[in-house]
Amino acid sequence: MMDKLNIIQKAVVAIILTAMAFIVVVPLLFFLNTTFASDVEMSAFPKPILPKMTVTVKVVPHEDGQYEVFYDSGGGYRSIITTKNPVKLENHFRRQYSVTIPGEKLLEDFSRTRESGPAEFTYVKSIFYNFRQFFAIVNNSLPALKNSIIASLYTILISLSIGSLAGYVMARYSFRLKSVINVSLLIVRMFPVVGISIPMAVLLIRFGLFDTLLGLSLLYSIPNIALTAWITSSIFIGISKELEEASMVFGANRFQTFMRITLPLAFPALAASSMYAFLTAWNDTISALILTNRNQTLALVVYKAIGTTSSGIQYAAAGSVILILPALVFTFIIRKYVNQMWGGVEF
Amino acid sequence: MSKSGVSHTKKIMPYLLLSPVFIYYAVFWLTPVISGMVEVFTDANGKITLLENFILMFESDLFGESVLNTATFAAISVVLQYFLALLLAVLLNRKFKGAKLLTFAAMIPMAITPTAVAILWKTGLVKEGWVNTVLLFLNLIEEPIVFLNAEGFMAVLLIILIDTWTVTPSVMIILLAGLQGMQKELKEAAYTFGAGKWRIFTDITLPILKPSIITSVILRLIAAIQVWAIAVMVLGFGRAPFLVERIAFYVDVVPGIGTSEKIAFTLSFTTTVIVLLVTVLYLKVSKYGTGVRGNR
Repeated sequence: MMDKLNIIQKAVVAIILTAMAFIVVVPLLFFLNTTFASDVEMSAFPKPILPKMTVTVKVVPHEDGQYEVFYDSGGGYRSIITTKNPVKLENHFRRQYSVTIPGEKLLEDFSRTRESGPAEFTYVKSIFYNFRQFFAIVNNSLPALKNSIIASLYTILISLSIGSLAGYVMARYSFRLKSVINVSLLIVRMFPVVGISIPMAVLLIRFGLFDTLLGLSLLYSIPNIALTAWITSSIFIGISKELEEASMVFGANRFQTFMRITLPLAFPALAASSMYAFLTAWNDTISALILTNRNQTLALVVYKAIGTTSSGIQYAAAGSVILILPALVFTFIIRKYVNQMWGGVEF
Repeated sequence: MSKSGVSHTKKIMPYLLLSPVFIYYAVFWLTPVISGMVEVFTDANGKITLLENFILMFESDLFGESVLNTATFAAISVVLQYFLALLLAVLLNRKFKGAKLLTFAAMIPMAITPTAVAILWKTGLVKEGWVNTVLLFLNLIEEPIVFLNAEGFMAVLLIILIDTWTVTPSVMIILLAGLQGMQKELKEAAYTFGAGKWRIFTDITLPILKPSIITSVILRLIAAIQVWAIAVMVLGFGRAPFLVERIAFYVDVVPGIGTSEKIAFTLSFTTTVIVLLVTVLYLKVSKYGTGVRGNR
């Protein structure tokens, strides 16, 4: 009917949507490529769209027992290294090509060229080399992963316990200052966190909570308590009051009713709120930068790794994949609620 | 007597249950907010001063640029992202094969951690990066461009484009949700009465979307004014200065000096005031807009 498009309009729509898919997917493919790239591949140009799983080198034998290794990074084979030292060879293959094969084995392979002349050799890359390097090279990365998990859990716990109680009260009781409190919650949520971070540091030092994960979570919970109250109150309103009243008629008190009837029904809202809380704590860098010293979170460690290691950015990329995975999973779990509660989309 | 006692507990019950929130926000929100303000209006020796720290801030490096860049960034990025998000939402709202899959694909960037977004674009924008690979492949350029050398407005534009890639999906989702909740009958009725597609869009679709647009624009503006992480991670400190980028600079790069702490406090305060002002102003303007539309 009215939605029918003529063929030109259809073509325009198709082109726009294809371009969109292209613009979203292509950078992601190249990013994946970076996480698995070896050092030589980082400077190769043009870049392949799919990550390479193998590396091919050309080996030319020299008369004094040395081997000259050639590598092609886009402009034809270039000489990279000439050696007969197995340790040197092993290090070179590990650092440059992410190939972890003992030097003796490499020399043994290359010795074939003594009879048959120069030849190409293909080796399988150690696929998770960048991930291992990230944890080996970047300071504190493993404790930081643990810290991120703990800070996220604290944030979820604080936001949910205080926020859902407030949400319940806002939905179930009518009282005089209700609209004032509603607006105040909104203001707190709108308030930029950077505005609080620095004075918060002073406050946390006074409490002895500076550079602790609890202190960090206390800050992350500020916007999330208000958000949780907002999300849960809209759900609590939807849960019929009659059900609660029936439960109380049968002798349950208000607390029991809340725990056994209301809470299970409100589970989706609580799940969504806890995931927002998780994402705030998991993705933040600026507050962690201000409020921690030694107890850094993973996002902060990755942020710092980008600044310090100019050559090994692929290791930081590997680290950030570890950051992305839980965030990605959670975002898609909550996308159903994002549709309903668009106020919480941006964080 | 017992009856009045019951109604009395009923009256204070909500406040009692809300007391954890009150206490939490009094200690961890109001205290830092107030002590931050105290810092702004006292000098290094603790004496009260009205302007000293603001003068310090105004005279600090790159302050003027950071204000200008923040305003440019907020204005261009919000408009651009809205135009794109609205376009995509309207197109994806049509029923066709693969619409769900495309919507899913369009949502991926919003799920990616900011630090990862920065790495993605930093590795893309170097001379041997994938952006040049793609542009060469499409024959759009002849020589690789060194994007990361961009300066001034071009640097800000680069950050705007990266931000648009990341943020447009989240705006689109909000608008899409609004569109899907819209009653089809309304549009059909308008069509029956002879309204054209454009007329239906401006007079029915947009007004219905208005509440979602207003709130999400506020959220976008607040986030846009606080841009910093991408700029620092992709270009480094001082290359594309923004207000919050300056705060991070004084905290991260030159901490511990009395003046840098004062500047950081004053910048935080200023940013917060700007955010609140813009929010209020925007709400006023959008309300005024509703009035005009209603009177027509």
